Amino acid sequence: MTQGALVISAWELSIAALFVFAVGAISLWARLGLEKGLLVGSVRCVLQLLAMGYVLRFIFGLASAWIVFLIFFIMVGFAARIVKGNVSQQKISFVLPTFLTMLMVYALITAVVTGGIVGATPFWHPQYFIPLAGMVVGNSMTALGLALDRLFSDLRARRDEVEMMLCLGATAAEASAGIFKGALKAGMMPSINALAGVGLVFIPGMMTGQILSGEDPVLAIRYQILVMFMLVASTALTVVIVLGIVRNRCFGSGDQLVV
Amino acid sequence: MNRSCPKIDKEKKSVSSQDPCFELENVCFAWPGKHPVLDRQSVRIPKGGFILVRGRSGAGKSTLLRLMNRLEEVDAGEIRYQGQAITAMAPARLRQQVAFLQQTPVVPDLSVRQILLSAFAFRINQDKTPPGDEALLAMLDWLDLGRLGLGDSGTALSGGQRQRLCLLRALIIGPEVLLLDEPTSSLDRDSKKKVEQVAVQACRDGKTIVMITHDDFVPDGVCVYEMTIDRGKVTLCQ
Repeated sequence: MTQGALVISAWELSIAALFVFAVGAISLWARLGLEKGLLVGSVRCVLQLLAMGYVLRFIFGLASAWIVFLIFFIMVGFAARIVKGNVSQQKISFVLPTFLTMLMVYALITAVVTGGIVGATPFWHPQYFIPLAGMVVGNSMTALGLALDRLFSDLRARRDEVEMMLCLGATAAEASAGIFKGALKAGMMPSINALAGVGLVFIPGMMTGQILSGEDPVLAIRYQILVMFMLVASTALTVVIVLGIVRNRCFGSGDQLVV
Repeated sequence: MNRSCPKIDKEKKSVSSQDPCFELENVCFAWPGKHPVLDRQSVRIPKGGFILVRGRSGAGKSTLLRLMNRLEEVDAGEIRYQGQAITAMAPARLRQQVAFLQQTPVVPDLSVRQILLSAFAFRINQDKTPPGDEALLAMLDWLDLGRLGLGDSGTALSGGQRQRLCLLRALIIGPEVLLLDEPTSSLDRDSKKKVEQVAVQACRDGKTIVMITHDDFVPDGVCVYEMTIDRGKVTLCQ
């Protein structure tokens, strides 16, 4: 028997905040230095989520395709900026190809999922498009950061090895094939681990949310499977395309390493 | 010197050969924020010669070799290999013909056989037939590496063995030019002598050798030239 989500009052939410206060108190007592980060993080979390809740309610009410696409554009822009911040590389410009690839791949996959699989009408229906796109952007952003950072650091650390292969007649792609695979694996590993561990090691947040809001667990599971496949596909596609473009930019016209 | 060698044109500071192997024309190169390594330098490197490159540390000897192999790009001017601008050649094709041996030997965690044949995995060399085990063993023996088995791990080798193995790996695809970046700098006397002998033999077989050295080594039975790099200037003499 299922029932709708139980309403959580502000008072009950403040009880949940006691857990964070307890951690802060332990940090103060043990002089761990976590209290400032915890306080700022908790306040930001509440404000950002509150703002998001009201913004989403407003957008759902508007039901405008332009607004949905604008939000999607901004989400991808921020994601590309975060990826840039996570990668320690100044010489090679990778932000624009990363942004454009993210924009195209995420739009395509989210549209196929909402319009083709979920059957939302129209496909950009904000209730479906925005949350699903958000999950895609968030997951792939982490994967991209990991993959690009690995690509750059390995090209720098294994420069002699790459140049040795170039000197034997390898093309840039041949000389960096091992590093490319390593970077791809580093980016994909969290998604692949999540595929293997879902349902056994952890219950995903989206599925938990649906169940808590009174949805049939079997339907929640179907959504979760869809989301998992969508996340793996978008992550793999984005990481492969971006790594390919950026790898090419790491070599000059003479196939010389310029990182 | 026991054969007829092209003479140096003292005015042009270059070899008088009509058939140079490499030509540098008004080449400029500087590392970012540093003094120029090459400042509008022109030089012709004779085909089939043994060129000893000398100069103080940091003068730009390694950079010159890297420019000739396109591991770096010139800031201005042109480098030609056998009359053709190296920028007009496919990089892999240039490097197949102009082998560059790095100062520190790079030996991956593979067997001796895999290391020696690694170049054959690349598209540019796929029309070549890799030598069989018997030929590989004979080559190892030639470089006094006869004690090694083809299945031995490359990472277990000493510095001298690694350098000789890398030299063999570079020679196995049959380059016409060998650029050697201080190949004997960290080797014991025997290994050093063997590497020098192999380089001289390669020169006698018709290859052009450009070798950076700080030693008094003088190759015998080949046309020897000395190239000096200092404060952005290159001089070539006999």
